[in-house]
Amino acid sequence: MNPSFEGESLLSIRNLTKQYGDLKAVDDVTLDIEPGEIFALLGPNGAGKTTLISCVAGLITKFDGAVEVAGYDVRDNPEITRRLVGLVPQELKYDAFFSVKDSLRYQGGFFGVRPDEERIDELLRAFSLYDKRDQRTRWLSGGMQRRLMICKALMHDPVLLFLDEPTAGVDVELRDELWDYVRQMRDRGTTVVLTTHYLEEAEKLADRIGIIREGELLRVDDREELLTEYGIRRVTLQLNDPVPADLTSSLSAMEINQVGEAKIEMVYREDSLDPDAPTPVDELVAEIVERGLSIRWMEGGRSSLEEIFKKLVY
Amino acid sequence: MSVTDVVAIDGRDTEVESPDDEAEFDETSARERAATAARRRIARTVEIAEGGGWYGTWMLFRKELERFWNVAGQTIISPVVTTLLYFLVFGYSLKDRMREIQGVPYVEFLVPGLVMLALINNSFINSAFSFFITKIHGNIVDVLVTPLNPIQLTVGYTAASIIRGLIVGGCIWAVAAAMGAGTIHNPAIVLAFMLLTSFAFASLGLAIAIVAEDFDHINLLPNFLITPLTFLGGVFYSIEMLPGVWPTVSKFNPVLYMVNGIRYGMTGVSDVSIQMCFTVVVSLCLLFLVTSLWLLATGKNIRE
Repeated sequence: MNPSFEGESLLSIRNLTKQYGDLKAVDDVTLDIEPGEIFALLGPNGAGKTTLISCVAGLITKFDGAVEVAGYDVRDNPEITRRLVGLVPQELKYDAFFSVKDSLRYQGGFFGVRPDEERIDELLRAFSLYDKRDQRTRWLSGGMQRRLMICKALMHDPVLLFLDEPTAGVDVELRDELWDYVRQMRDRGTTVVLTTHYLEEAEKLADRIGIIREGELLRVDDREELLTEYGIRRVTLQLNDPVPADLTSSLSAMEINQVGEAKIEMVYREDSLDPDAPTPVDELVAEIVERGLSIRWMEGGRSSLEEIFKKLVY
Repeated sequence: MSVTDVVAIDGRDTEVESPDDEAEFDETSARERAATAARRRIARTVEIAEGGGWYGTWMLFRKELERFWNVAGQTIISPVVTTLLYFLVFGYSLKDRMREIQGVPYVEFLVPGLVMLALINNSFINSAFSFFITKIHGNIVDVLVTPLNPIQLTVGYTAASIIRGLIVGGCIWAVAAAMGAGTIHNPAIVLAFMLLTSFAFASLGLAIAIVAEDFDHINLLPNFLITPLTFLGGVFYSIEMLPGVWPTVSKFNPVLYMVNGIRYGMTGVSDVSIQMCFTVVVSLCLLFLVTSLWLLATGKNIRE
């Protein structure tokens, strides 16, 4: 029988506050991260994302509140919690004296991981660094250094991985590789917390999303719930004929506008619909058909996380 | 170019799905499956983490060794050559005028002083420079996120610095010996003073690197304290040769005891008692060790 961790949350943050003078970089944050999830911490620059992560990873030890990883306090048992956590910092850093391979070998070693050439090679291949394995790290390009930093954080196979703005300044190729890799890691049991201000990233990857502004965690939701609760459906119809003047007024219950001679845009909130009544789209289409009008095309979409985020944060 | 497979340290990690469980897993969501895998991995990694161990310290030591070894031209050869210039200039230009000090030929009297001079500088600058440069480059983060505790960090950094001090000091002695000036009176005492002195200054270097905010701070101590104290600590002369109150003043200089300790080990003569030499060097070891441990434990200047 394999042992299994029984706790509710892998990471438990209770009333975390980090103050710099008058500025509260993190303000009374309480947050739980569940085993096996991908959590996105979303916020503008200077919102306190990196500070929050630094408190967990051990870079900041003077803070108010409590942080536990797998039930161990990060300040009372750092030798245990740091073994569980991996961190890919935001800023590019390189070790001027060592080759790519050596820096991985030593980084794993610091965590007590014996050198395993096979594993190092596999990681290097997975992040397209294999050809650069014997190069000094200082000669790597920015994108390559970012890859190396990710490999370094993975050397000890952490169960809780923090990616601090992982795709800041990287090309589309690495971004897609990384997203793919994050999903695969999650599938084999790595819990991932990523900070980002690219909303697309959170929308594509995260199971849950926390929105942080000026150190305060404004809300934490399931991605789908957030999109549904704050999301707006938008449907646009292009008719073959001019829109009759009284068409939109006859459907006054809905937010509906004529946006061109033959174009109609309709906006509605999904969560406010009565499940037993016809939907606004039903009504509009029925009205158009009844009047004998023809629809050339119809398109629709849901508001992105970006719009929701702007609404919540600004 | 694509990511094809997730790399696991240990193959068991991926054994979440087994053929027998297939039907069951079909009903659970991917997220629940990930949670199950995560819970197993957490339990196993906690076990590993609780095991602790000193392997990380060993790897830090190895990395630090490799760091100075990769640039041995600057870290080993250059200090050896510089020190040998002192040996040639002072030893051979003054040997006809000085002949003997306390019954020991001057070149032989000079060798332990020069060994100590190089040992002090190199053990100090090795840990100071290495730690400071990682701090400035920001890759100190690589070390700070590891489970290494203050004691382990100190051991890793100072042990490598001690090795550098011993190598440089040993090379100087070996070259001097090849030129006929390498005496050994008591090898145990020589080794003890080389080890203790390099440990003291390696710890001091670490402490200074933690506190320092720019390169000037790193150079301040060697330039204005360590080098003057070393030169005035009897490297080139016996304090008995000094006039007036200066022999007494010199006894407040801690480096005097290190130079005389190793000089006793090599030549059998010393300006001060060997017991006193041991007392001073051990006290300095403790003082600098405690200081660097305290700085690392409080996280001053490196953790917020």
